Amino acid sequence: MPLYIVNAKAGALPEEAKPKIAADVTRIHCDVTGAPPQFVHVFFFDDGPMPPLGDKSVMLYGQIRAGRTDAQKAQIASEMVASVAQHTGLASDQVHAFTTDTPASWVMEGGDVLPEPGEEEAWLAAHEAKLAAEAAQ
Amino acid sequence: MTMCTCMVQEGQISPAQQATLCAETSAFAQRHFGTPGEINWVTVPGGNGYTAGELSTSVIVSVTADRSLAPSQRIPLLHELEEIWRTHAKKTANEVVSVIRDPQ
Repeated sequence: MPLYIVNAKAGALPEEAKPKIAADVTRIHCDVTGAPPQFVHVFFFDDGPMPPLGDKSVMLYGQIRAGRTDAQKAQIASEMVASVAQHTGLASDQVHAFTTDTPASWVMEGGDVLPEPGEEEAWLAAHEAKLAAEAAQ
Repeated sequence: MTMCTCMVQEGQISPAQQATLCAETSAFAQRHFGTPGEINWVTVPGGNGYTAGELSTSVIVSVTADRSLAPSQRIPLLHELEEIWRTHAKKTANEVVSVIRDPQ
């Protein structure tokens, strides 16, 4: 978590654009929130069931940990729309991005409940120490 | 029914594994939330899943509880759900993201 789902009309998202958009989504999320990149998942669908496309060519939906400010969420959406537009050639108004909040305490990743925003560094250190200890056994 | 969404990547889960994972996840829901799971199995097309900007093998399983859970209740359930997926999907802990949501 976060999980970003990118749903596109068939043909709107060239295959070669997907790794670039995935890299941008990861970078943007980390730059804006300070989260580590290994938390960021990006899944692409062509004509997928969700999020509904409505009148858009690409919809980008992020389930992110609760605790981000409205300004951070707006920046994430704005920069991700610009990335998709850049890599697809679509007009920005054909792309929409939005996020919803999920409490960190509802999510387990790597066998540990996710940290609250701002507590990632200590969490990662403890998590990696745990994995190293398990590997040594 | 307990809503369960299982997001997996194409080609990584065999039909037999899928059947077992659906049955085990549904049984988990029945055990803890009182009704079997209604499994929404979503397959991410091959080469369309990324973690940390790189192609990944992650799976995401999300279950909606029948009540609001305290951390002392939720954490053991997260471990149990993760263990089901680690065991039957043959994944490492780092490849499994498990979520237990409170009802809306």
